[in-house]
Amino acid sequence: MRDDMSPAVPPTVRPGLDRRMFLKVVAQATAAVGMTSAMAAKVVAAVEKGARPSVIWLHFQECTGCTESLLRTSHPGLAEVLFDLISLDYHETLMAAAGHQAEEALESAIKKNAGKYILVVEGAVPTKENGIYMQIAQKTGIDMLKHAASSAGAVVAIGSCASWGGVPSADPNPTGASGINKILEGKMVVTLPGCPANPYILLGTLLQFVALGKLPELDELGRPRFAYGRTIHEHCPRRAHFDAGRFAEEFGDEGHRLGYCLYKLGCKGPSTHASCSVLQFCEVVDAWPIGLGHPCFGCTEQAVAFRVPMLKPAEIVRPTPPSTYAPVAAPQGFISPLATAVGGLIGGALLGAGWMASRGMKEKPGTTPPTPPPNQNPDSSDKE
Amino acid sequence: MTEKWERCIRLKEPLLTKPFKFMLGLAGFAMLLGLLREVSGLGYVTGLNDGYAWGLFKNWNVTALTALGSGGYAVAVMAWIFNERKFHPIMRTAVLTSLVGYGTGMVALGFDVGRPWNFIHIINPKTWNHHSVLLEVAVCMTAYVILALNFENMPPFLERMHKSGDPKQSERALKIFHFMQSTFPFWIALAFVLPSMHQSSLGSLMFLAGERVHPLWQSPRLPLFYLLMAYILGFACVLLVLLLSTYVWKLGWDEVILGRLAVVMSWLTLLWLVLQFVDLAYRGVFEDAFTFDRYSIVFLAETLLLLVPSLALQSAYLRSKPSYLFQFTLLLAIGGLLYRFTPTSIAFIPLGHYTYFPSVIEILMSAGFTALAVVIFLYAVKKFAILPASRSKIAAEAAIRPFDTL
Amino acid sequence: MDVNRRDVLKVLLGGTAATAIAASTAHIAKAEADTIPPLEDAVGLLYDATKCIGCRACMPACANANGLPADRGASHGMYMQPEALNSLTKNLIKLYVAPDGHERSFIKQQCMHCVDPSCVSGCPMQALHKEPHGVVGWDPSLCIGCRYCQIACPFNIPKFEWYRVNPKIVKCELCRHIVGKTVSQPACTQVCPTHAVVYGKRSDLLAEAHRRVKENPGYYFEDRVYGETEGGGTQCLILSHVDYSKLGLPKMGPQSNASRVRRVTNVIYQGFLTPVVIYGGLVAIIRDRWKAHLEHVAHDRARHEAKETHV
Repeated sequence: MRDDMSPAVPPTVRPGLDRRMFLKVVAQATAAVGMTSAMAAKVVAAVEKGARPSVIWLHFQECTGCTESLLRTSHPGLAEVLFDLISLDYHETLMAAAGHQAEEALESAIKKNAGKYILVVEGAVPTKENGIYMQIAQKTGIDMLKHAASSAGAVVAIGSCASWGGVPSADPNPTGASGINKILEGKMVVTLPGCPANPYILLGTLLQFVALGKLPELDELGRPRFAYGRTIHEHCPRRAHFDAGRFAEEFGDEGHRLGYCLYKLGCKGPSTHASCSVLQFCEVVDAWPIGLGHPCFGCTEQAVAFRVPMLKPAEIVRPTPPSTYAPVAAPQGFISPLATAVGGLIGGALLGAGWMASRGMKEKPGTTPPTPPPNQNPDSSDKE
Repeated sequence: MTEKWERCIRLKEPLLTKPFKFMLGLAGFAMLLGLLREVSGLGYVTGLNDGYAWGLFKNWNVTALTALGSGGYAVAVMAWIFNERKFHPIMRTAVLTSLVGYGTGMVALGFDVGRPWNFIHIINPKTWNHHSVLLEVAVCMTAYVILALNFENMPPFLERMHKSGDPKQSERALKIFHFMQSTFPFWIALAFVLPSMHQSSLGSLMFLAGERVHPLWQSPRLPLFYLLMAYILGFACVLLVLLLSTYVWKLGWDEVILGRLAVVMSWLTLLWLVLQFVDLAYRGVFEDAFTFDRYSIVFLAETLLLLVPSLALQSAYLRSKPSYLFQFTLLLAIGGLLYRFTPTSIAFIPLGHYTYFPSVIEILMSAGFTALAVVIFLYAVKKFAILPASRSKIAAEAAIRPFDTL
Repeated sequence: MDVNRRDVLKVLLGGTAATAIAASTAHIAKAEADTIPPLEDAVGLLYDATKCIGCRACMPACANANGLPADRGASHGMYMQPEALNSLTKNLIKLYVAPDGHERSFIKQQCMHCVDPSCVSGCPMQALHKEPHGVVGWDPSLCIGCRYCQIACPFNIPKFEWYRVNPKIVKCELCRHIVGKTVSQPACTQVCPTHAVVYGKRSDLLAEAHRRVKENPGYYFEDRVYGETEGGGTQCLILSHVDYSKLGLPKMGPQSNASRVRRVTNVIYQGFLTPVVIYGGLVAIIRDRWKAHLEHVAHDRARHEAKETHV
């Protein structure tokens, strides 16, 4: 343990952690989400100042998969996150409190950190019949959400359910499940879709908020560009197979076993914006659907997940050339056999008619003209 | 036995014969297909592609058919420049073939251009690219049809107007006629200058393609060859039309006129062939004509189709037999048409492996536009006094009408 | 034939007059007919096939910059896979492989922006015209869709939207709609990772090309730059180690087709002088004939009326 003169380890950090370990945690956390070491230094500085942002985490219509996914991080582990980097003031899965105690904890957290806390929402909110399909302590999800969001510094929707409705919103959507941005009209909501969302995206977003005091660059759907700026297809390890035209045609066939592209098995990678191909899950190499040999089903995209059938080929957003090249002179144009037949027929008919006509041409074509006998009026021959 | 053609008569045959109805149907169908082209786009109705951007419409209906439609020009030159007065009775027929040939050529052109709404700019000379040969063709052809051809084809129409019985119409017809008489040379000179310009320009068009036209056809003398071939095909067309008309409607067989047409056509063709081979030798591509590849075969075919009939028609005996005259003229016309048609199509070799053959709709449209020409011709000869006939066909002697000067 | 000496003389005189006038004004014709030199500030591309790696980043970049959807026809919707330039593709990377495989080269195909373009010469309404810096641009408000440019272009570049009711002529215009406004160079040169294709003033690019040839004797095909003089010169220059004609670049002499046409039309037309002179001559001849014809007809009429009165 060092003496108290040097602020080696921020006082808010848990005891037993030396500076070296602390720096390592921060470095791991920032590296995992692609932040530079300069950013890491900022995180350290921010935490040293005692800025451990308050996080309030609400659950609605969800399976808790996103939380479970967060639990499986180790760079940093959830413990390091909870104790060293953020102050998790309300989380129904992880907190010890229950019942009225829990409700009081929520209210006091909201009041104490008003305007500064990050509200993380997991799960969709049902809207049919005024939202009666999800109630806690007789308060509907809509009311709870609006109340918690009203004094939040930032609102983050984690997972596809909170981002756009997720699996509860699949047709026929009997509860009117909706993403939280639809309910919090006008409020800026950072959406981190995924089923589950990749936990490092949340960590990256939170860390950036901690370090720079602002949220990362978002696209038009509120998704951080650093994670959702590309489709899976644009960064897939199997892309070379796609470009070369090597596909698995059936599960278990030769191509499937050789790890070929899964486009023909309905992989929705080409229309799905996500970072799974880069980040993977559970910190195990290839621990993501395509890596395991299963086509992506587009869990981040509202238009794709739970809507488009599994085996239906995906729409390719922004197609690029394949690995084959156009030859210097590619054959173009088509000669229709029917057209040659028609053309030949017409030509032949004309020639034949001409020939027949010519056979009948004589110097003396006949003495009786086919015209009716003219009348005697000399003026009549070229009149009507 | 030759009978002299002296008067233009209006045929009294019924108009709606089976062939006429068929042609009318085909022409109408082509117009419907044309409508289809307007609402869907050229690619759907033709076999055209980026390599062969010009197809049947431009190569056949415009280039080839207007050559056939140069009959009015060619015969008028004979009558007015070379003073061969005997051609006056067939002048109306000749200029009618010109009118229908050019008219339907313009119709086809109208359907062929991809952005016809911008045609309006043609009236503003500031937008003209005066280096462009195609502009010359377009402006000249349009001027020719609107000014010269209409003028030349007015007399039978005026005649009918005059005899319609309505004094006002009659008066107006006479007024227009007197105007025509007093300004005649100016219009006819125009009718000679304009087609010389655009018929030769149709040849110059292919200069710009440079080496993309096979050397057997690409020549600095293309305008001359195209112009000369226009005369030849003009004569051929008038001959064929007259022979067919004589055959179908028993107009009498005027050996002098027809024989003369054939002789002039024959000499012109021989001259054309000599010039062609001299040009080939001068450009050093004479051997290419005998390599017997696809281009050489087409070239030899068109040469033979021109050479054999023109030699044959040197014989007075063959000229005196209508069936031979018709057959040889037909072969000659096919050869000439093949020549006019080839440089923009068969002899055109774009980069890359492009192939082109007109689609079925394209063929039907082209045939329909040609049928339109026939339909208008048939209508005109049965409503106006156009076709020539010998006096023996007109039972009663008729007084010479004031319009007989034209 | 009824042609008399007077008529022959008239025609000959007219013809001689026309020829004399033609000869005297020939020098004007020649000056205009000669191949046009490149503009001072002409811009273009220099594509060095030896540096191209065939990544084709230039193809989607071009499509994006020009708002063109990908051509997916050949691939059942999967790839941007044009087989040739077409109405959706202004820029294409093609691969040449020798039949026995002993040599290969990529080739980038796009409008060559010729110094004296055939398409500009042929376009009747000046829809294809030279923009500032010599870029060949297309104006939709003037084009009538005659497709003469497709017949004229020696490189077969202008493509037509055959399947549209409002068809355009589509070809590279060196991103003139954005260069100088939002970007400083065309999209293709912007994304090229090896700088195989670069943008700049033609004079600078030509100097650079010559430098490369000089510093690597025997490396580039025939130690020359394609486009320096071909067809009057092109503003898009090409360097390759492989025979240019194998890459689909036609062999052309230094005279542009456009100048050839100008030479002929200028001599024939002499700025419309020849037709006017010939017209005048013809009017004179025909007037004579017309008078004679009227006399003939009057004579015939008199004779006929005399006959009738006798009948």
